Amino acid sequence: MHAIETLGISKRFGDLRALSDVSFTVGEGETFGFLGPNGAGKTTTIRILTGITAPTSGTARIFGHDIVRETVAARRQMGIVHETSNIYTDLSAWRNLMFAAELYRVGRREREKRGAELLEVFDLADRQHDRTRGFSKGMKRRLTLAMGLVNSPRLLFLDEPTSGLDVQSNLIIRDVIRGLNEDGVTVFLTTHNIEEANLTCDRVAIIDHGRIAAIDSPERLKETIQSVQSVEVAFHPGGRVAADDLAALSRVREVRKEGDKFRLITEDPPGVLEEVMAFAPRAGVRVISVNTRGPSLEDVFIRLTGLDVRTKGVTTAD
Amino acid sequence: MEGWFGQVSTELAAAWAIAKKDILIWYLKPGIIVSGMLFPLFMFLAFAVGRPAEPTVLVPGLVAITILFSASSIEPVSIPIERRMNTFDRLLSAPISLHAVVLGESLSGFLYSIGIALVPLAAGLAVFRAGIVGPAFLVAGVVLTAFCFSTMGTLFAAYPTESPGDIMSMLNLVRLPLIFISGVFIPLSQLPSAGQFIALLSPLTYGSDLIRAGFTGEAHFGPAVDVGLLLVFILVFQFAANLLYRRFND
Repeated sequence: MHAIETLGISKRFGDLRALSDVSFTVGEGETFGFLGPNGAGKTTTIRILTGITAPTSGTARIFGHDIVRETVAARRQMGIVHETSNIYTDLSAWRNLMFAAELYRVGRREREKRGAELLEVFDLADRQHDRTRGFSKGMKRRLTLAMGLVNSPRLLFLDEPTSGLDVQSNLIIRDVIRGLNEDGVTVFLTTHNIEEANLTCDRVAIIDHGRIAAIDSPERLKETIQSVQSVEVAFHPGGRVAADDLAALSRVREVRKEGDKFRLITEDPPGVLEEVMAFAPRAGVRVISVNTRGPSLEDVFIRLTGLDVRTKGVTTAD
Repeated sequence: MEGWFGQVSTELAAAWAIAKKDILIWYLKPGIIVSGMLFPLFMFLAFAVGRPAEPTVLVPGLVAITILFSASSIEPVSIPIERRMNTFDRLLSAPISLHAVVLGESLSGFLYSIGIALVPLAAGLAVFRAGIVGPAFLVAGVVLTAFCFSTMGTLFAAYPTESPGDIMSMLNLVRLPLIFISGVFIPLSQLPSAGQFIALLSPLTYGSDLIRAGFTGEAHFGPAVDVGLLLVFILVFQFAANLLYRRFND
């Protein structure tokens, strides 16, 4: 049985078509990433999958329960971590957790045990009786995640879980996601952080303009655009190098400045390497590091959403 | 599989959890106290000071408008703020029906109102020497009127705004005229015939009639009619709220 099965979901808001015939499945125990630019339809998809919004046509099943007709049964299987840390800031961390558990009708003894465990896991136990108004952004996010797990869900929806967080919170949350995956919990993750999806997801879907542009494992998606290879080069800080000078090299297709490095997009990395090594003495600069890189998931994302290309070998919705 | 009884008890438990959460957060907020206690007090003073009126008219009137304002004072504030904080999505995505959400939200206003109504009731008994002759009518009147107007508050709060002021403005457009058309301080029998007809459309008419029966032993429409129509209003508000929350959440 699939954890999630969407069957031709479409959603219209007046004249605006937010989703068009979105179909995909997520297997039990899978960590599934859902990527897309702002306004692509990620939030609408999550709202439909969690039963907050009804689709205009099509439906979705959560562990076999139709989200439109069996909303309550479907929701019992899931935990939801919304994009914003939607906790009650007038209540303590403990009261917030207990409230979330009561909504899911977790028995008193079980919710108190589970609540205490989660506060330990998320490093909030020593502040459990404090009002959450004074919590940092990271602490609020960790509490939100704890509230999403208090009913021990089989499926967890995570909407931008680590966006804008401090390092400690990021590490704790990623560790928890990894642990959930090991425990067989299905995770549906929407994120803008493509590297996060690359590191944590078994498969990702890229949505653009309300349509699924591609679904596959991160590595298979990268394989589909092997033409986007690059040479990453850093010059000694004393030297002055302009991106235009590098763009003038014959085998370089595009130059991206990334921090103190340049990324030279090419279909011929060895040729570019030769050109760069010849360019450096001519320009009076010294190369301090050079690396060749394959396409990243971000390249796939840009290719699919920016250029709207449907690439060969990728499972697409079309 | 959970049976019918299990489902109902799950819904009621979730509604009670929502009410408890509201009680902890909202009962002592200054805005709620002003709206729920001081507003009806000043309305009462505006009506009652300097006018010769029987305690059996004044006290039930004060109790009725206190319930009207206090019962409908929490949800129109709490729900828009929950929308702003995105905590309302937590309720909407919980494994419960919208009826349980509406019921839970209404329960907090209901309980708040019952507590607040005891103040004018005690004052009426102590200061105005009003005697209770029909305690069952009084209890039924207070309970049903409180539940009716707390559900009305939840219904108005369905309007998809994040600003409590927007909802309060709309709500006051309804609440204030209700005081004048419902025979609260002027007995229904003394209203002109057009006024008597309009009064039939107001739930406060039946609420204040039933509460007054607690002090006089007599109801203009009869206690059974008052109880029945208050129940009808509660059901209409509950189902309308359910419908609007569903519609506006889309």
